[in-house]
Amino acid sequence: MKENMNPDPGSNRCSGEASDDKLREVLRAVRPLPSLPPRFQENVWRRIEDSEAPVKSGSRLDALIALVLRPRFAYATIATLMLAGVLLGTYRGAQTARQTEQARYLAAVAPDSLR
Amino acid sequence: MNRSLVILLGVLALGAAIFAGSYFVSQRACAITRSADDLSWLHDEFHLNGAEMARVRQLHEGYMPQCAKMCVLIAAKNAEVQAALGSGTNVTAEAQQKLTELGGLRAQCQAQMLRHFIEVSQAMPPEEGRRYLAEMKKLTLGSHEEIEQSMSDHNGHEHGTN
Repeated sequence: MKENMNPDPGSNRCSGEASDDKLREVLRAVRPLPSLPPRFQENVWRRIEDSEAPVKSGSRLDALIALVLRPRFAYATIATLMLAGVLLGTYRGAQTARQTEQARYLAAVAPDSLR
Repeated sequence: MNRSLVILLGVLALGAAIFAGSYFVSQRACAITRSADDLSWLHDEFHLNGAEMARVRQLHEGYMPQCAKMCVLIAAKNAEVQAALGSGTNVTAEAQQKLTELGGLRAQCQAQMLRHFIEVSQAMPPEEGRRYLAEMKKLTLGSHEEIEQSMSDHNGHEHGTN
């Protein structure tokens, strides 16, 4: 209680800064900063250059896959393919059925021997 | 192989399977749902209403026994021709006679068929009737004309000219 009621806050600050420096020194001694790996700077620059370089075909393919596998795109593609299949199938089915019906009518009214 | 390429090929195969599946299912469904009636082609192709279809059906049912009768006569005459021809290598007078009779029967049957087509065409709206008659002439008599045409083209001469 007595320490907290110190009337001179300036002297307290000075002693606090000094103790911070000491603490830093102790921490540095306990946990030394790791030394940088060899050719660290060179590798950093290489990475920066790679990221700025034009996109390669492999990464284009990855980008395409990422686009195709996106749910909205995938659902839309499936729906389009199904719709196209159904429409084309119905059209072809109707054509085939029409030819079959025509052949059935002809077989009924005009025997093969007369055609 | 590159993983992305495998995924892309898988996606393409799946897409092709989805398209092919829906194509074949809808094609089969379309064929199955069609009527098995002999006259359904007339109804769909010439846009006939109920009354017109009823009249066409009446004509069709009236014609069928006549057609069947002619078919029996033609089949019998054909058998006679085959018997007259036998296994010989020449055409006898009897075989010639039978062939003439067979031709006569076929002509009679064709004339009866054409009369039926004309009657049916008259039961349709005028424009559809004309189209039906032209289509039936083409389908039933057109093949003979094509054969005769191809024969005269190949032989380098035309019938009726020197």
